[in-house]
Amino acid sequence: MKENPYLFTLLSALATTLFIVASCLVLGLLARFFVRLAGGTRRRQEQAYAGYFFAAPWIVGFLIFVVVPMLASLYWSFTDYRIGRPLEPVGLENYARLLLDDREFRGSLINTLFLTLIGLPLQIGVALGLAVLLNQKLRGEHSFRATFYLPVILGFNAAVLLCWRLMLNASNGIIDQVIRSLSNASLPIGYINRGVIYAVEVVNGFFLGLTNGNYTLLEKVLETGFPAANRVPMWIQTPLWSKMSVVLLMVWICGSMMLIFLAGLQATPRELLEAAEVDGAGSWKRFWKITFPLLTPYVFYNLIIGLIAALQIFEPVYVLYRDNQPLAPSAYSMVYYLYQATFRFNEIGYGSAISWLILLIIAVVSLIQFRLQNRWVEYEIR
Amino acid sequence: MRNRRSLTISALLAAALILAACAPAATPTAAPPQATQPPAAEEPPAAAEPVALKVYVVDYTADVTDTWLEDEVVPAFQEMYPNVTVEFIWGSWSTFGETVAGYFAAGEGADIINLGSEFNGLYGSQLAPLNDKLGAAAWPEISNFIPGTLENASWDGELRGLPIFSAPRYVFCRTDLMPAGVTEQPADFAGWVEFAEAATVIDPATNSLTQQGFVPVDAGTMADFQWYLNTIWSLGGSIYREDGVTPNFDSGEADAALQFNYDMKRAVYPDDTVGALPAGTGSVIEEGNGAVCLWHSGWAAPAPDSAVWSKIDIQPFTGDPTNFPASQPIVLSFVDWWAVPAYSPNVDMAAEFLKFVFNQENNHRYNETMNLIPARADAHTGYVVDNPVLQREAELASEYSYGFAGILEPTQLQSILQTQLGLYLTDQQDKAATLSSIQDQYTQVLQDGGYLP
Repeated sequence: MKENPYLFTLLSALATTLFIVASCLVLGLLARFFVRLAGGTRRRQEQAYAGYFFAAPWIVGFLIFVVVPMLASLYWSFTDYRIGRPLEPVGLENYARLLLDDREFRGSLINTLFLTLIGLPLQIGVALGLAVLLNQKLRGEHSFRATFYLPVILGFNAAVLLCWRLMLNASNGIIDQVIRSLSNASLPIGYINRGVIYAVEVVNGFFLGLTNGNYTLLEKVLETGFPAANRVPMWIQTPLWSKMSVVLLMVWICGSMMLIFLAGLQATPRELLEAAEVDGAGSWKRFWKITFPLLTPYVFYNLIIGLIAALQIFEPVYVLYRDNQPLAPSAYSMVYYLYQATFRFNEIGYGSAISWLILLIIAVVSLIQFRLQNRWVEYEIR
Repeated sequence: MRNRRSLTISALLAAALILAACAPAATPTAAPPQATQPPAAEEPPAAAEPVALKVYVVDYTADVTDTWLEDEVVPAFQEMYPNVTVEFIWGSWSTFGETVAGYFAAGEGADIINLGSEFNGLYGSQLAPLNDKLGAAAWPEISNFIPGTLENASWDGELRGLPIFSAPRYVFCRTDLMPAGVTEQPADFAGWVEFAEAATVIDPATNSLTQQGFVPVDAGTMADFQWYLNTIWSLGGSIYREDGVTPNFDSGEADAALQFNYDMKRAVYPDDTVGALPAGTGSVIEEGNGAVCLWHSGWAAPAPDSAVWSKIDIQPFTGDPTNFPASQPIVLSFVDWWAVPAYSPNVDMAAEFLKFVFNQENNHRYNETMNLIPARADAHTGYVVDNPVLQREAELASEYSYGFAGILEPTQLQSILQTQLGLYLTDQQDKAATLSSIQDQYTQVLQDGGYLP
């Protein structure tokens, strides 16, 4: 008899439940057996049984849904595995192609580097600035806190990012409208705007040159010189600004970092600040000599978490540039490239190699950060 | 001992709870709604055993198309096949890639999948050959489909499904916004460049467009791979050489088409510091949105009942007959279709369901929910002929359709073209480097895919 969908669902649920229960019992019994083998008391044996019995659903889930797929992807990374075609072992070929031949992967790596080097410090800086502001006793402090945290709750969902696309329109988007109005109203602001535009375009021209292997756009920016008075950022319209719009979104979603900094600021011992004040230290000096050193563990935490997030950035690039493909190569990240190779081109083997390389890069960068922390992270005031 | 017993009881309780939570939703017992389609006159083949068909459908118009399919089509089909259940999986193009790649990777999933034109080359070989079920010998009704649309639903000489609609790309032009003295759409490349430049207006105060002479799909970048391929084909060119496999992007047509794409971009945006048209709602050629001409399908045009249609001229794209005598007027035909994957254990019943959903009346109703041109010519009745816009589109589709089909490794080609067009149209590389990159990269892709030695 061919399958009845309702019966099939019921039987699947029953089989899954029995499997979970059996896993609990087996893991519990195994734990007790090993404790007994190690000479553990009866009480220790019972504790091990209970502990592993209740932890078993998570452990089994982790093994099935994380460890096994990871091992499978490690194996696939050494194969030419495309959907619908037989799998062929190719040794290190995928890794060699990634590191030596694939210009687009190199481009995504450089884009990710840009987002990490430019976007992450800006994100941390803005989060710290907001936390310092919110640490002052202001009226409506809770509302500000909620407002700045709101982007984290909203996340990069499609509706939010579509709003961003509208806001980033160079003609009537609200961001450029505000910049235009301020520049027209005040000459110094106009010069600052043009200076920022020039700097951004020079830096982006340089990074695009690294990606493309030619510096035509950088030369063009330098040749054109200081931007005209009616210039505004061309956020999602030219490759010179495509990465900056992703940076803008990274900064917008800095609420989690801000809360962590706020917790750090509120944990700063008042007596130290008061003693420094009595000794004549101004607020600037108090911040840099007392508050900031004590905040460095929080900076370090945000840096590590932010670094991992920046190296894995996907959603803003996906939603801003998925339909705007001519600009996508100037903005897409390593994880976007991984998505494209795996789910658009159906090259599972190659995609697996990319994912392992990303893991390696993240592990190395994190390790370096942990090694360097002794040089600048202060866990106590000396 | 006591502990173990209580643990065992806890486990059993947990199992009971999980089982209760996993129980399927109650099977509806109410009578099915009245079907709009009466059972077929001839005795339908009986499905002796229960069959559960899963159909992955892109939810084009939520609460309209889906309601019609679930409440009317399926119950009517079940009158013929009472033992068949049909479960729809509603998807969107944004999640399509991952979902369908998962089906094919697992060799398990929906029995019918809603595909777009470009997926013909990606999944064609993994779809079930259906000539013996849907070919003219087995199903004479197939002759009612517009031939160009069936091209998209075929792979390697075999039908792999059936087309829902034809969504060709036309040139829509606002006659009231054309430059002074111009009353018709240009007929060659030079004419188009001159037209686009004259019809474009830039506000010097904001350095942004307030009127855009031409929009080829994307108004901002003006770089679109479909538009580029359309210009090559309109010149009588081909993207493959005579062997049908070797890329032909080093041809004169590919070169001229690329140059034309660039010239059109610069006719509208003299440089890349000019801001795009203000973001508006609805079609870019709708009143107040600023575009003069649009190359796109009916999806991106104003609603068929909009008053602005009295000022819109619809034409095929005519290429460049001045410099390329083989030029031909074309409307690039895109087709969305339902295909049956080869992994499906229910290929026979899936084909029966296709024949039912794509009969004359249902194909008409399906498209009516979206205001599109049915793939069946005999379904061009009612709203299609009553509305002069849709009627004109249907006529052009019948006369000038050029199928967006038979492209090898289409998603890879799309990515290569979009990247390279982006680089060229933003002055990051020159034309020769662009054409050579397209040719080399696509050749490599076809070699990797086993199409070329």
